[in-house]
Amino acid sequence: MSDTKKEITGTLVRPNKIPVGSEIHNRITETLYEEALMLDNMLVLEWSYFVTKDISYTVPLRATRLLEESDKSIVRSMMHMDEDYNSLMMRVGRLTRTKSAFAEDPPSRTRRLITNILVDSTNKPDEFAVTSYGILTRNRYEEHNTQVVSFVRHDILREIDGELKLAKREIIVDFAVLGTQNLAIFL
Amino acid sequence: MRKAGPPPSNPKGPRLSDGKTIGDLFNLDRNEVAMRVLSDPEIYDLEMEKIFSKTWTLLGHESEIPNKGDFVLRDIGADQVIVTRDNKGKVNVLLNVCPHRGMRVCTTDSGNKRAHKCIYHGWAFQNNGDFIGAPIAEEKMHGCKMEKSELGLQHANTHLYGGLIFACWDHDGETFEEYLGEMKWYYDMLFCRTDGGLEVVGPPQRFIVNANWKTASEQAAADGYHTVTLHAWLGELAKFNEGDIAASMYGTEVTSRMGHALRCQPVANKFKQAAKGFADGSLTLEDKLALLPPPGVTKEMLPQLKRHLSKEQLELLVDQPPQVGGMFPNILVAFIYAPQPDGTILGLTSLHSYVPRGPDKLEFTNWIFAEKDASPEHKALVRKVTIQMLGTSGMIEQDDSDTWPHMTINSKGPQGRDMTMKYQALNTRERPKSWPGPAEAYEGFTSDDTQWNWWLRWYDLMTAE
Repeated sequence: MSDTKKEITGTLVRPNKIPVGSEIHNRITETLYEEALMLDNMLVLEWSYFVTKDISYTVPLRATRLLEESDKSIVRSMMHMDEDYNSLMMRVGRLTRTKSAFAEDPPSRTRRLITNILVDSTNKPDEFAVTSYGILTRNRYEEHNTQVVSFVRHDILREIDGELKLAKREIIVDFAVLGTQNLAIFL
Repeated sequence: MRKAGPPPSNPKGPRLSDGKTIGDLFNLDRNEVAMRVLSDPEIYDLEMEKIFSKTWTLLGHESEIPNKGDFVLRDIGADQVIVTRDNKGKVNVLLNVCPHRGMRVCTTDSGNKRAHKCIYHGWAFQNNGDFIGAPIAEEKMHGCKMEKSELGLQHANTHLYGGLIFACWDHDGETFEEYLGEMKWYYDMLFCRTDGGLEVVGPPQRFIVNANWKTASEQAAADGYHTVTLHAWLGELAKFNEGDIAASMYGTEVTSRMGHALRCQPVANKFKQAAKGFADGSLTLEDKLALLPPPGVTKEMLPQLKRHLSKEQLELLVDQPPQVGGMFPNILVAFIYAPQPDGTILGLTSLHSYVPRGPDKLEFTNWIFAEKDASPEHKALVRKVTIQMLGTSGMIEQDDSDTWPHMTINSKGPQGRDMTMKYQALNTRERPKSWPGPAEAYEGFTSDDTQWNWWLRWYDLMTAE
């Protein structure tokens, strides 16, 4: 399986897999569900405590390429988002400390459906590699059509003082041309 | 406010199906244009013919296709084109329509090919657009009515400027020099100032905004007023310009009837500490260059600036660099300073093209640039900070893309379509005598002169015979 397929689909060869239904898998699943609940309710300040200070949060571009070149369908030389802790906190600050975050004020109605969660252990005992599928629906103003962003996320969750925190997230979106007017929202 | 009376009749340009002309939608005495222009499908169709088939548009940068055979897909208005570097190294802009049955000859966003073969019936074309042949050559599958030399892909007129790829369908129309006109003097300061020139850091971001292409494009003609309100967070939270956004809207705006515009902002106003002594005559040009290099230029490149720019250009670039503006019809130019937590001031360089995707849809295309000779670390930092500020998720521009759809919707109402957009905040001062550059120059607070010139250019093209 090529690396790209692995990145998009996760890999079927998983020597370090943590079974679905195990205690750790259940905890991680619940954590991601709770994260979705926070973001869908614009509890971004609460969400800010879920990310670690060394977080890397990226959304690469996608490109339409032939099957034989599918390693080039994920473009990391340019991104839709390329965030660290400070920039994420600036985004949170816009929403919580100003009255001029107009892209999300009034806020979108969103629903994050997070599924297909697969967990692997890593060479660090306190970190887990987590792949999840997501569909985000977004609706603003009087729109009667729902904007949809579908994606797969590759996360590293780190256990800190008994709590799972987000230490890395790469979001591979399924669009070469994104169909929403901005990413003023977290995926 | 009561509904305004009808503007004076101005029967210029094509007549629309309700009897009004394009000219009737303008009040040239009062600098008003009817909002109907933002969504009327008839007007959109006319634009495709009278603007996007006549004038120059930006398609990308040659650093996106560095090798022979490289190509990217782009758009001139509603027409998709293949931008190729052919086997001789020349850049071509080719209509992505197979002359046989109209299928797309190329179906991928980018790649490298010696020849482009249509997947439908197999007609093949060299990467310079020349027709090679059809699969069953002995049966003369390409027909017996036309010569092979007549069956190549349609070429657009192509021009490279500072590595930027521009194209125009009208081979007999205005030259690129005529298109840029007097404003070239200013764009040269941005695009033609170093030995290596600019390069893209990667392919462009692309996303859809449900808005007419002109909502974004006329704003790009140096709309300063919106910054104060729509981007108020820059003062509130990011403490740009030491928290005073309105103060940063003082400067000099340059513009021409060709619809181009740039806002030059004195660094002395912007950075009271970093640019101390810039305005009071206590520093030489050398001192200033060392203290605060122009956006995007590193200290190592400073000697190059002197070779490529005149003294007047260099002084302006150092004291009062162009920061934002646009090129008609659908290009935004951003050369902005981004102060960093460590006290350094980073220069960000970005171009957008707002590709029309129908009367109420545009594709926002965002390229990020760095000087080719900058270090990999500098390029990486520039890329990261620019992504955070501009484009898809840009903390500045995300608020813009939520605004334009509302204007587009409003322009469809039976009352709203006749409401006018007003460009009446005009700068009435005389042109500053000491101003070193060409074109119209307006000193003081930002004004509507630049955007009105954008609309006059639109008017000129739309009413042209």
